[in-house]
Amino acid sequence: MSASKSILTRFSGTNATFWLGLLLVGTITLTGLLSLVWTPYDLSDMVAGRLEAPSWQHWAGSDRLGRDLFTQLMIGAQIALIVGCSAVAIGAAIGVTTGILAAFATRFLDDALAAFFDILIAFPTLLTAMLVVAASDEASLGTAILALGIGLSPIVGRITRLLTKQVLSQDYITAARVSGSSWPSIVFWHILPNILPFLGVNLALQFGLAVMAEASLSYLGLGAPPPNASWGRMLQEAQGTVYTAPWGAILPGLAIFALVIGVNLLTDGLRDRLDASRRQV
Amino acid sequence: MFSLPKLSSALHLSGRAAFAALLTASALTLTPAAGLAQDYTPDAVVNIGSLYEPQNLDNTGGAGQGINEAFNGNVYEGLFVLTDGGDVKPKLVESYEISDDGLSYSFTLKDGVTFHSGDPLTATDVKNSIERVTAETSSSSRKKSLSNIASIETPDDKTVVITLEKPSISLPYNLSYVWIVNDAATDISNSEDGTGPYQLQEWRRGSALALVPFDGYWGDKPTNGGVMFQYFTDATAQNNALLTGAVDIITSIQSPDALSLFVDNPDFTVSEGASTTKELLAYNDRIEPFNDAKVRSALSRAVNKEKLLQAIWGDYGTLIGSFVPPTDPWYVDLNDVNAYDPESAKALLAEAGYADGFSFTLDTPDYDPHPVVAQFLQNELAKINVDVKINIITANEWYTKIYKSHDFEATLQEHVNHRDIVFYGNPDFYWGYNNPEVTKLISGSESAKSIDEQTKMLTEANRIIAEDAASMWLYLYPQIVVSTSNVSGYPLNGLNSQFFAADIKKVD
Repeated sequence: MSASKSILTRFSGTNATFWLGLLLVGTITLTGLLSLVWTPYDLSDMVAGRLEAPSWQHWAGSDRLGRDLFTQLMIGAQIALIVGCSAVAIGAAIGVTTGILAAFATRFLDDALAAFFDILIAFPTLLTAMLVVAASDEASLGTAILALGIGLSPIVGRITRLLTKQVLSQDYITAARVSGSSWPSIVFWHILPNILPFLGVNLALQFGLAVMAEASLSYLGLGAPPPNASWGRMLQEAQGTVYTAPWGAILPGLAIFALVIGVNLLTDGLRDRLDASRRQV
Repeated sequence: MFSLPKLSSALHLSGRAAFAALLTASALTLTPAAGLAQDYTPDAVVNIGSLYEPQNLDNTGGAGQGINEAFNGNVYEGLFVLTDGGDVKPKLVESYEISDDGLSYSFTLKDGVTFHSGDPLTATDVKNSIERVTAETSSSSRKKSLSNIASIETPDDKTVVITLEKPSISLPYNLSYVWIVNDAATDISNSEDGTGPYQLQEWRRGSALALVPFDGYWGDKPTNGGVMFQYFTDATAQNNALLTGAVDIITSIQSPDALSLFVDNPDFTVSEGASTTKELLAYNDRIEPFNDAKVRSALSRAVNKEKLLQAIWGDYGTLIGSFVPPTDPWYVDLNDVNAYDPESAKALLAEAGYADGFSFTLDTPDYDPHPVVAQFLQNELAKINVDVKINIITANEWYTKIYKSHDFEATLQEHVNHRDIVFYGNPDFYWGYNNPEVTKLISGSESAKSIDEQTKMLTEANRIIAEDAASMWLYLYPQIVVSTSNVSGYPLNGLNSQFFAADIKKVD
């Protein structure tokens, strides 16, 4: 295969998807990391005038209180990533455990858990998360993460259960059982490694969902309270000024869009690579 | 926007934006020259856009401020009326006499007044209408102010005699909220039987309420062919409706940014009236450290309210330095009391024993402008080492947690009422301000012998609460009405959510 041809294939089709996704997610991740050490202004400093347009001093303009919107976008990236990752981690911890448990369980418990997942999935993730936030005393970053994690867990649970069942029906599992492996060792040595690629792709999709849901929660005032910045709350606060200062709504909207679409593209790309490598094998 | 009555309430707060124009009169001149000769279409229907759909049609049944907007003075009338200029004038009363001890009022009713159903107005209707408001089951915001009534007699069909337990100089004012309802009417939650210039044609829940002129009205006929209140849940949708001509008037603009669509546009008229809506940070004055006037004063001095007003309202709105707006007779400019001065704020805080600051939770209603205001306060107070934790709550939570249970440290709220300084005379009110001197002045002012005396006492109370920094009064909302330029004659001030429609003129 000639070099020129390989470059062509690399930047066409699935590869382009992958690289574009990586670019979007990478940029936002780097921005989020950078915000840990540097932002143009302090988050709560009212340094500018009311609703200033983007300029060299304020790259994304300012909000009604005269706070720098670029700083808020940067911190917003950090919060979106923290919430997205932590919520997926919690969702995975609960979902994978119960999913594997269901797959291993007796017929009756399995049916019950499967039905339970289905019922929970019937509630939109956001609604479940809102219920959890409402049940807690005070909204905080922690409750938002926990709420979203719980909201995501049934989806992860259902997929884990199905994937695990597939693996359990394989001959090598029967072989392992016959040779006396305990079920924890089957889970760790056979099941997890085998379901991980598919589960990983799914978790990445859940991450996109979590980012959207966090923005929605914040938009509704149920997310992390100020002074935490959040893209969702930025949208909410810019809603009334969308005609006079459209950048206040457009930029956080674009940021959410970029992160969610980026994760999806990246996941698609990853899945295609995974499939391709499987085909090659 | 939040409105307590909607939640079956006792006080009437809400998001009715309103503006204290320096002079109501000067504001009035902003409206286009109203109806020179017959330059309007008498049968034109006026479409009014509003965000406040009533929950039902009974103002004693927790219907919310929307019902006052649609029905006060339009469908129902009281013995007295609070005019758009803030004066109390007789309406269904021809004349009245007060006994020398101020305990007995004898009202003679106007002749020739009939209800929409055709029944004539009688003294019994008046008696029952007042009792409807004071009844056990009533959730009227005016219940408490009328609890002073000892008895209501009806010696004949045209005379009503009210006897009070204590003199009450505000009785005519308080009676301006009592709708006179036909005693024979049933189901006034869903229908009406009043004496006003309009009768209800149709109420489509969730969208609109249509009023048509009542042919048998005792007074002047409306200058339009009816009004249609159209209800929106979202200010942007409402603005768009005005832009596209689906409505002719918006009763109150909620943000200065929406105005850019209408200002300097010859197709629209933007008018500023006087408002009674005050944005305030209410401390729970019962608890530490807010039971110390020094702490409250310090916090007040640490906040640049001018900057806040500018952030929220741009060039609109006013600072009043207290709870009393310019349309209340006891208004004085108190901006100099506890004015912005971060240095003295720090000193005062140290004097009160909080040199290192403290922290408190600010319960913040989840709708605009409260969350933004909360963040502003958080920033300002951080400069004097006071750490504000923002807790976002819903309007319902506000009502149960704060208004009912007094379970809070500090909160934000907008108070819409006219003449509501009386809340500072009630130690059981949600903010729990308890200064015996103020309580005495406020309750004593009701027994004043003259309006002048009442005004003097309440002005004094106003000054004391300002010096005490009983709450942190942030600003007075502007009241901005926008209409298409072919409509005129609408009320500008909208005191207590009223929106008298009978004088509106429209050129079709």
